Amino acid sequence: MTHRNAKRALAALTLAASAAFPLAAKTLVFCSEGSPENFSPSLNTTGTSYDASRPVYDGLTEFERGTTKVEPGLAESWTIAPDGKTIDFHLRKGVKFHSGVNGFKPTRDFNADDVIFSFERQWKPEHPYAKVSGGKYDFFNDMGMPGLLQSITRIDPYTVRFTLTAPDTTMLANLAMDFANIASAEYADFLAKAGKKEQFDQFPVGTGAFQFVAYQKDAVIRYHRNDAYWGEKAKVDDLVYAITPDATARFSKLKAGECQLSMPRPADVPEMQKDPSLRVTSLPGLNIAYWAFNTQKPPFDKKEVRQAFSMAIDKASIIRDVYLGAGQPAKNLIPPTMWSYNDKVVDYPYDPARAKALLAKAGVRTPLDIDLWYMPVQRPYNPNAKRIGEMMQADLAKIGVNAKLVTYEWGEYRKRLQQGEHMTAEMGWTGDNGDPDNFFFLHSCEATRQGGQNLSKWCNKAFDAKLQQAKTATDPAVRTKLYQEMQVIEHEDAPDMKIAHSTVYEAMSAKVTGYRQSPLGKHQFNGVDIAN
Amino acid sequence: MLKFLLKRALLTIPTFLALMFVTFVAIRLVPGDPVEVRVGEHGISPERLAQFRHDLGLDQPVWLQFWHYVVQLLHGDLGTSVATSQPVLAEFLTLFPATLELGFFAMLLATLVGLPAGAIAAVKRGTWFDQVLMGLSVTGYSMPIFWWGLLLIMFVGERWGWTPVSGRIDLINHYFEPRTGFMVIDAWLSGQAGAVKDALRHLILPAIVLGTVPLAVIARMTRSAMLEVLGEDYVRTARAKGLPAWRVFGVHAMRNALIPVVTVIGLQVGALLAGAVLTETIFSWPGIGKWLIESINRRDYPALQGGVMLISAMVIVVNLLIDLLYGLVNPRIRHA
Repeated sequence: MTHRNAKRALAALTLAASAAFPLAAKTLVFCSEGSPENFSPSLNTTGTSYDASRPVYDGLTEFERGTTKVEPGLAESWTIAPDGKTIDFHLRKGVKFHSGVNGFKPTRDFNADDVIFSFERQWKPEHPYAKVSGGKYDFFNDMGMPGLLQSITRIDPYTVRFTLTAPDTTMLANLAMDFANIASAEYADFLAKAGKKEQFDQFPVGTGAFQFVAYQKDAVIRYHRNDAYWGEKAKVDDLVYAITPDATARFSKLKAGECQLSMPRPADVPEMQKDPSLRVTSLPGLNIAYWAFNTQKPPFDKKEVRQAFSMAIDKASIIRDVYLGAGQPAKNLIPPTMWSYNDKVVDYPYDPARAKALLAKAGVRTPLDIDLWYMPVQRPYNPNAKRIGEMMQADLAKIGVNAKLVTYEWGEYRKRLQQGEHMTAEMGWTGDNGDPDNFFFLHSCEATRQGGQNLSKWCNKAFDAKLQQAKTATDPAVRTKLYQEMQVIEHEDAPDMKIAHSTVYEAMSAKVTGYRQSPLGKHQFNGVDIAN
Repeated sequence: MLKFLLKRALLTIPTFLALMFVTFVAIRLVPGDPVEVRVGEHGISPERLAQFRHDLGLDQPVWLQFWHYVVQLLHGDLGTSVATSQPVLAEFLTLFPATLELGFFAMLLATLVGLPAGAIAAVKRGTWFDQVLMGLSVTGYSMPIFWWGLLLIMFVGERWGWTPVSGRIDLINHYFEPRTGFMVIDAWLSGQAGAVKDALRHLILPAIVLGTVPLAVIARMTRSAMLEVLGEDYVRTARAKGLPAWRVFGVHAMRNALIPVVTVIGLQVGALLAGAVLTETIFSWPGIGKWLIESINRRDYPALQGGVMLISAMVIVVNLLIDLLYGLVNPRIRHA
């Protein structure tokens, strides 16, 4: 027994002796990356903030833990009308809101009023809570909800009807996102009467597996198990988020046993893997880094040229040198963890000779001058766009292409790309709701408009027809088939070169059981335990 | 004395004005505003962008924004953080005790070790003690805080397990409501067994890291001040009178040598706050240093402006107090 372990054992003995009964409460400590903006997911924009509100809230639909599959949440089931424009959600009965947070004691169970409150706050500018805490509902707007929703009505206390302006099956996945979580309308009234509306976003009351206890900015968030939880119950008594923004500090704390779970930096992973007291898991992130070819600018209007460029880049070197191994080469727009991923698509090989031949066949004369835009910032899917740009530049020189590196300030960069000013540009995407549509819309004809997200300005009628069809089809098998066919079209037409999906790691104490890493990057702790 | 005090106090007004202006302009020179930084790959519709800018007052000309800011400040309102929608002053007051506590212990360490070490080095000038101490102080002064902190965490915290590696208290075994924001005091007020000891244990490494540079400065300053004083006539007289050595050094020499040292300690407050930014990051110490860095990243103008103003105000006040103290200690300055 080392000195440290001896001290721990002694401390444990003292603790056990002082607390004669029952056994010491089990506490799970998660080293989180930062302070939340607040505790209302509808207002938030960062993963860190969603992680902080997730233990407290549930949505109508939920993602199955560790997957992107949508499953029932506070809505036990739903019925979609044949025209696809009306969805009736049948709500779970007997669901309790947390009691005792901020002096609030609920007098009724969860019902349709809470659903209507949670959506109308984000949707209707005249809603009494619309302007509270700044009132910016980014995700509600980003997911196009104002355009998609026609009405939300209460049919009875346990049935809510969503009427849409157009059929859209991705709605079910949207509702599983954090912004669509359900808060307590009764709590909102309670605070409004007390003249303390802004506390609604500081002291959260939900129906989730953990109840909020306390928050100290930049230091700690505490939760306690909700014994009345309707779903998969928490196995630990207390959940603590030790706010630790520095990756090195998180690693130290994990090694010292001060926390049991954290997000490591890829550079620390090899050392962590050697430590028998730790376990590291990894998944491809729900993201894609790509290099868009502007198909409206010659020579990129020719398919052969785009294919040639796709073969000219040594992707493996980029993964090795820029991603430091924490990425996997991408061949499709969606990552392999997403349903409907088409693994039969064969990536373009790295073959400068063939690339050169293809260019010649397309009638492109070398030396050819192009511009290559790179992002001025680091993104989750691209650790260093400039470095990747330089590597591409060197590879392109081998086939007689002179690439000029260009960049702008981040806001300006996005704006100019969406206007289509570039010839080729690095960019990427992080998925929101685990639905393939959330990636493929990037290649829709609609998004080729000025200011649209289709940065290749590529409009393929066959692709687009399938995209629209998949959006309205309700049968998952039909949707899967359509998306797989779209991946084949996209590969053949090569509107962009897919670079990589970054790898997301999670590190935890070997004693942690039942944790499932989410492809959506969520941290979820119900069902997680610590072995003795 | 009153005249001196008034003059000094009045001089702080232009300093404040200049500060207000510089902070206001500097943050706006950094590309990207709070709205742009918030927007990711999704982009934002022009209408929503215009609405956001309008809500934050960013659609007004810069001079008008500055005017509003000054008026707001004169009303004692530091604004609301863009990121959290919380009042800037409230956020500052929640986090500041942590920085103050860390700074206090760092300064305590620096003074308690630096003063006697510097004095002894002066008395034993040229001996091995003097040389080793001065060598160490140069090392301490030039050591990168980040590296030093990581080194201590790696060995003292991780390998030997003598201290915790970060944070302010053991989050599993101790939980109490913060009443003052000073963890040691809160731990004491909580009455929980072992809480004070645990809070102090958490302070050891960050206080050493933050205290190292001031310690080196104080030790060197004390040494040179002492050396100067030791050559003075009154010290020679004291010796000639046959006073015991401890009285000569401890009372006659030390007292006079302290004057420049006090000034240096005051000046270290600014340096301490700068060091706190790094120390707080390494040790996950929830203070204002980390908060300011985050505010820069988010282009949270109100938080950053408010934070910088409050810190500057403190540095100015501390310097003013030092000036006054100096005036009290040395009447010649007062009348100059």
